[in-house]
Parts: sequence; C-alpha cells; structure tokens
Amino acid sequence: MTDTATLADTRDIVVDEVFPHTPEMLWRTLTTAELIGRWLMIPAGFEPTKGKRFTFQTTPAGAWDGVIQCEVLEVVPHERLAFAWVGGHESNAGYGSRLETIATWTLTKVAGGTRLRLVHSGFQVPKNGVALQGMSEGWPKVFEKIEAIAGEQVN
Amino acid sequence: MFMTEANSIDAVMRTLADPTRRAVFERIVNADEITVVELTRGSRVTQSAISQHLRSLKQAGLIAERPEGRNVHYRAKPEGLAPLVDWMSHYGLFWRDRFANLRTLLKEIDP
Repeated sequence: MTDTATLADTRDIVVDEVFPHTPEMLWRTLTTAELIGRWLMIPAGFEPTKGKRFTFQTTPAGAWDGVIQCEVLEVVPHERLAFAWVGGHESNAGYGSRLETIATWTLTKVAGGTRLRLVHSGFQVPKNGVALQGMSEGWPKVFEKIEAIAGEQVN
Repeated sequence: MFMTEANSIDAVMRTLADPTRRAVFERIVNADEITVVELTRGSRVTQSAISQHLRSLKQAGLIAERPEGRNVHYRAKPEGLAPLVDWMSHYGLFWRDRFANLRTLLKEIDP
C-alpha cells in the first residue's frame, strides 16, 4: 500500500456543538483531571502539558486490555487541546482492532457561549470501520448489525 | 461509570435476540431518557413484562437507570454494544454521549 493510499484511507469523527458557557469554563472541564472524570472517563496521569502521557481504562477486547494510551500533543490555553488516542490490538477486528488516532479539541468564542469542536482523526478504513457507516448512520447501523447477528443465532 | 469488565458478545446477543426486548431497547435508544410507564404506554405488553426486559438489558450493560422521586429514567449505554461495533461506530456514539454528559456537568458547575 502506498503512502497516498494510506492517507486517503483514514477518516475523522467530528462533533461540533455550542455550549452556553465561556471558553475558560469549557477549558477547565477539558483540562482538569477530576472534571474529565465526571463527563468523559477518569484519566490516569493527565496533566495539560505537552508531552505528558496518560491513560483511560475502557472495555477490553480479546488480546487488548482496554487501555487507551494518550499523549498530550498540543496545548493552547482556552483555544486548543490535542492528544494522541492509541489502543487496540492487531489480532482484533472491529471494536478493539489496532487504533492510532488523535483527538483535537478546538474552542471558539461565539455569541452566547463557546463552540466546541472535537475532531477524532486517523481511523483507518476498513480496519477501524467504514467511515460512511460510522458517524452519519450511528444507531440504525448498529441495529442492522444486531438484527443480522440475532437472526443468525435464532436460525 | 464506564464498564471495565468485558461484555461478551454472547451475553449482548442473548439479551437482544428476543424481538420484544430488542424493541424496548430501540425505544430507549431513540428516547433520550424514558420511564417504564412511558415504555408500557406505547407497547402491547404489560408493565411487569417491560420491567423484566429492563432488568435483562441492565444486566447486559446495555442501559443505565437514573432514579428520580418515584420514577426511574432509563437511557442507553453505547459502550454496552462495544463488542458488536467497529471503532468508528463506537466513537460516533461514544462522543455524542460524552458531549451530552459535558453539557450536564457544565450546567451543574456553571449554572
């Protein structure tokens, strides 16, 4: 596979919402370990310092222990936070497959609050999922899959 | 709150193999939060049957409950379906869910 093909085969997940709070307040929730633990997951070893490594414990799958390995890549107070989000194992398919991604948070002051944009980038297609079926279809796709598998079990 | 034990695909599939239970789960997913009374209202089965399905769904890690006064509100837990989905579907749901948590937390600490 050429480099071009590799680049072309990665996809992003984007969530973009406006919150009725100041960028400073949002920044606190994104960069304070105790607060991160209250809305995302409890981080181990997090500090908003470039180069800092930390982890999240998530649901294990197969040979993977469920630990997401992170490293702070960029810190621009009240504006931008990026960290590496790496996990999974080569022996897994679907959930739990090898994952090497980056989560980038951008805060922009807007009328009445702050626009928070998350770009979770670097999903490899098809290893980490088919992009068009991921974010845009969400639950309906999951249900199709459940019905297909449940149907197989019954038959 | 995040489940750390592995949810085996078998347990999740056993739980969702029942079409009525699957229909209950789909309604919980489509509602942000829903009570057993609301679930029963739009259904052809009894409240005690719905409660039974809710117990199974909760045991499989597919839903979470939030008691409030005399009511219990149920909501879907996307991570419960983790064994069934790929990373992109997982994180698509996961981040949407976490943004909702963030909104709730901010309301609490910065009303």
